[in-house]
Amino acid sequence: MSTQARTRTRELRNARAAAEERRKKRNRLITAGGGMVIVLLLAAIVISLVNAAGNAEPQNDAAARGGTAAQGAAAAPANATAGGALSVGNAAAPVKLEVYLDYMCPFCGRFEQANSAELERLVADGTVRLELYPLSFLDRMSSGTEYSTRAANAVATVADQAPGKLLAFNAALFADQPAEGGQGLSDDEIAGLAREAGVPQEVVDTFTRRTFESWVASSTTAVFATGISGTPTVKINGVTFEGDLYTAGPLTAAVTAVKGS
Amino acid sequence: MTSTGTSDATTAETTTVTTTETTGAASTVLARLHRLRHSNAWIFGTMLLSACVSLAASFVLSIDALLLAADPGVNLSCNINAVISCGTVAESWQAQLFGFPNAFLGLVAEPVVITIAVASLGGTRFPRWFMFAAQIVYALGVVFAYWLFYQSMFVIGALCPWCLLVTVSTTLVFGTLTHVNIRDGNLPLPSRAQAAARRFIDADFDAIAAAIVILVLILAVVLKYGSALLA
Repeated sequence: MSTQARTRTRELRNARAAAEERRKKRNRLITAGGGMVIVLLLAAIVISLVNAAGNAEPQNDAAARGGTAAQGAAAAPANATAGGALSVGNAAAPVKLEVYLDYMCPFCGRFEQANSAELERLVADGTVRLELYPLSFLDRMSSGTEYSTRAANAVATVADQAPGKLLAFNAALFADQPAEGGQGLSDDEIAGLAREAGVPQEVVDTFTRRTFESWVASSTTAVFATGISGTPTVKINGVTFEGDLYTAGPLTAAVTAVKGS
Repeated sequence: MTSTGTSDATTAETTTVTTTETTGAASTVLARLHRLRHSNAWIFGTMLLSACVSLAASFVLSIDALLLAADPGVNLSCNINAVISCGTVAESWQAQLFGFPNAFLGLVAEPVVITIAVASLGGTRFPRWFMFAAQIVYALGVVFAYWLFYQSMFVIGALCPWCLLVTVSTTLVFGTLTHVNIRDGNLPLPSRAQAAARRFIDADFDAIAAAIVILVLILAVVLKYGSALLA
């Protein structure tokens, strides 16, 4: 082999070794970078968990208070119960019917369509005292417009200022219920439904003051703290009704049975 | 350490030797881990475990779907609060994209993965075209799983723990399947791409990528729902 050829071979070998070395170095750098990203992600997860735990505590406090001392500082509507409900009908009625609902919840709409006429009749004839819990946990289903809170605030305002129109307005909101996951109804549309249900204009005008939004929020927390896990939930004299909620009849029969006993 | 020195210079040298030896030991451990990670036992073991987890989760989700179909008001075991709610997720149209509950797809697909993993652990070599086909089908599954994750996070707005489990284990199965297919040259790639993919796997970048993806998933869930999860 000539000297020239040998030199070329050696150069080639050296170049290859250098390239290999460069590749290794680059790989080490990438691995280190990846490791750093992993560590940062872990740190971010821990930090946000700690933050979340910090934020969750005051909520739990509010829930604890809600059960006993009626939502603390939040302005409650007249005829609101300590548990966070709007009370309708004869206070001395033999049957207490509690309905947990969210105006965005499609099954609450189906419940309402099946039973609203019966409920109105039972309230009117003094059999039932209705306690409505307008909740706001489905706020996340209205593309950021917080429809559940806005609707519940409007209902609470009506309960406070024009309690006679509460059931009509409640029924109207469900009759024109927006699709879950959409924008919900606008403030104007809510106001329109209230006017159609007979709520006086001066009461409708106060919806946008959002007077009872914090009451809605704290009663929602309080309700979920009592073990309610979804809507619609219906309780007859404190016992959850397990029958068919979506056809007229079974609920009325259960109420009648409880009244008779 | 056996060398004994009296002068300062020897002590300094001793220290250097110790460092090198520690590095040496660390790199042996790393090399052993590296070999383990590329072994059939590790790859197909991970695949088997992940596929079993996925199958179990699909099974629970399928039963939930049946319960929900029978009684729309049923309270599912994982309706923990307003955010963690399989019911909310299961009632969405996304949960039945093809007209039947998505979980049925898991019931059909995961046993195939389990079979591949078990047979490979037993020493079977599947034909290249078979493994390539598995790769394609599973890639579609991963795309679907991540689309569902996106939908449940940002459109439906509720979390379902079983679905999250499926997302994570699908990622792991896809990772191991890709790993083995590149290692064994099962994919019809041009030789340069194959070599690059091979180097990527040899440098363990795929493990780093998988870890980052899963951590990003966790971070996204914690950021969006952290307070609800702990409440």
